[in-house]
Amino acid sequence: MTGRRIAILTAALLIATSPPRVARATTSASGKLSIEAKLDADRIAPGETATLTVEVQSEGLNLPDVPLPLLQSVTVERAGTAQNFSIINGRVSRTSTTVYRLIPRGEGAVTIPPLKIAVGGERAETSPLTLTVSHAVAPRTPAPLRGALPPGAAPAGTPEIFVKATVDHPRAYWNQQVTLRLRLYSRVDVIGDVDWRPPSTDGFWTEGLGPARQGRQIVNGKEYAVMEIPTALFPTRTGTLTIGSAQVRCRVARVIQPPDPWSMLAMPDVVPEDVSIHSEPISIVVDPLPAGAPPGFGGAVGEFRLAFHVDSLTARAGEPAAARVTITGTGNVATIRDPEIHARGASREYVVGTSTKVDRTGDRLAGEREHDVAFVADQPGTLEILPIHFAWFDPESRSYRSQSTETVIVKVLPGSGREARPGGIVPGGLAAAAPRRSHGPLGTLTLDPPAASVVLLGSSIVGFGAAVLTGRSRQRRFRDPRAKRRRALEAILGRDLSRSASLARSGEPAKAAARAEHAVLSGTGLRYDVELQGLARAERGQALLSRGAPDGDVAAIESLLTALQAIAYAPPETRVSDAKHAIASARRALERYRNEMAT
Amino acid sequence: MALALAAALGHGNARAAVDAAALYNAGTRALARGDVGPAVAFLLAAHRIDPRARDIGANLAIARARVEESEGSSPRGEARAPSAVALSPAESWGASAALAALGALLLWAHALRPGPRFLALLGSAAFLAGLLLGLALLLRAREEARHPQAVVVAPVLDVAPAPEERPLSPYLLAAGEEVRLGHARGDLVEVRVGGNSIGWARRSGLWRVTDAARYTENSGSR
Repeated sequence: MTGRRIAILTAALLIATSPPRVARATTSASGKLSIEAKLDADRIAPGETATLTVEVQSEGLNLPDVPLPLLQSVTVERAGTAQNFSIINGRVSRTSTTVYRLIPRGEGAVTIPPLKIAVGGERAETSPLTLTVSHAVAPRTPAPLRGALPPGAAPAGTPEIFVKATVDHPRAYWNQQVTLRLRLYSRVDVIGDVDWRPPSTDGFWTEGLGPARQGRQIVNGKEYAVMEIPTALFPTRTGTLTIGSAQVRCRVARVIQPPDPWSMLAMPDVVPEDVSIHSEPISIVVDPLPAGAPPGFGGAVGEFRLAFHVDSLTARAGEPAAARVTITGTGNVATIRDPEIHARGASREYVVGTSTKVDRTGDRLAGEREHDVAFVADQPGTLEILPIHFAWFDPESRSYRSQSTETVIVKVLPGSGREARPGGIVPGGLAAAAPRRSHGPLGTLTLDPPAASVVLLGSSIVGFGAAVLTGRSRQRRFRDPRAKRRRALEAILGRDLSRSASLARSGEPAKAAARAEHAVLSGTGLRYDVELQGLARAERGQALLSRGAPDGDVAAIESLLTALQAIAYAPPETRVSDAKHAIASARRALERYRNEMAT
Repeated sequence: MALALAAALGHGNARAAVDAAALYNAGTRALARGDVGPAVAFLLAAHRIDPRARDIGANLAIARARVEESEGSSPRGEARAPSAVALSPAESWGASAALAALGALLLWAHALRPGPRFLALLGSAAFLAGLLLGLALLLRAREEARHPQAVVVAPVLDVAPAPEERPLSPYLLAAGEEVRLGHARGDLVEVRVGGNSIGWARRSGLWRVTDAARYTENSGSR
């Protein structure tokens, strides 16, 4: 076997056994959900960065997040996400592309396990990917570091390590990109990770420009390893703005030479040392944009291009015609105000959505902004999408520029007749209930109370209050001792005396008189609030007088009691009329007492 | 309470009587066209007026299932039949007032001529139930006045942060999704879901349920 054949076979074997850089895209059973993951390189050298791109496609609006699992000995940074969606034949589909930077912390094979996503009952996952980190792999060429230190920015002498912040434009227009380069220059080995503390950038909109870049530069005749963090800054106000001081903390390996350089056994000593260094603040003068901005200018500064696309020059009545305006270029695309899109002849128009894609790979922030609008014409005819104007300020030429589109005419054809019959099967396969032929019921859509309910509820509240007050008043009266005695007196009148009169009429005067006597004693006692039952005549008189009874009243009562007692002890056939008379007197007396107690 | 009710009465701007059948027919036609946004709006409005109607409930369930399908979610299975005791807002208010009035009458009778104690308890319970129901309805009416219920009618509605806020990825709402509205600013309106503001959207992409009758041909004021 010749050497050439061996080489070919070895290469074939390597290709056959090497893990894939693109994980096979898997799709859910119904095809509504899919996910694909790919690495920009499957073998990298230590210290290099690999890029993992994960693309998810979903039919419908729900787009799942992709949870990247924790990878051992790899630092994972989310570099950005771009989303897009489209409507085709009324079906919405969304795409999400997420970019991760993988920074391995040591040598070996890193396995990225399957990435799983789920929406509702749909599930999809990638196949595993492997990233090999090895010294055997030739390092990828570092990005050339453009831009030497400006005159006067170089440090005095040749320090072993220093940090420098520079900008490409010390004077800029409002919203013009100023690129800040934060660079760490080192002539000694840096051990481990570098801790970058970015400077304060008050008054700027800040966007990172990709990962850290590495290279070498000659400063004051010495070669330095340089690590650079570029950042795009967009001034959001005019005047003099200051970029603060950045701080870098790292650990360097200092080599200490032995005292006797001629000794064969003496070896240089390496001592780690923590270093904290700062950059100098930078002032930037920000000028306002010149006067004379054209109509439609919305604050875009940079270099842009406008593109316009209509999905079809014919549409059916009642169906949407989608139009998309795309602005691409360099500048702060995220803050671009979308141009107005209007159409003549449209019954309805909807803003379908806006998406922004940002490209951070170069020195200038670039990107693309898409703005989708759907127009619906209900009647056949024509739909005129009016010219779209977009204006921006070009800081290089220091002038405003603008771009316009032509009027686009969309022919609207009669409706497709695909409409389902009401009451039949609607799109989606479900049987809908049929329309009604009769009217009603009538009602209001507001949730506010009807006037009648307000009146009834208000009256009820008032009625409740009145009932509570009445009940309390009644209870108070019920608990009043005088009223209680009066009610007892009324009961005597109504019960005892009536019974007494009934006995008298039925020819039992003795019983009637005895009952009437008891009633008079009880009633008089209630009138003067004293217990008279069982008292002798003298004691009774004393008790009544002590309770304020007039002498005449006491005498009249005693006379009445005497008469009743006389009847009670006499034969019934001789005293019926007397009994009736005495009972009537007793009733009059007790009624008088009742009336006195009512006042 | 009476003052609060009177204040709530002042919020009403859709007091005209609307024909539930006209709203239902408009919703059914929109559903047949595949226009789920207006279909949900019309059927929700019809359901408010006639909540016990089986046909309205059935078509509303179909429209909601279509919305879930377009979102990419699996429909949640069979729709439940409308409850036989479901009440419209006006009926709920009537029931609340009737309960309170019955309770007040029983208590008044008991105060004037005390009878069995359970009658007083029954009256108090009825009055309290009517009052609590009224309070709940009042809170619901107030929420509707402050954050009216609305339906997305645009094919896809872009709900983004306010113009002065830092741009973030917008929420995308599908046609037929039910939301509540907050403050309005120019042609933008604040969109709320689950009691929280999720951003601002163009007003033209949303219909308030109370306005649904405006978009029908023959369900106007009578």
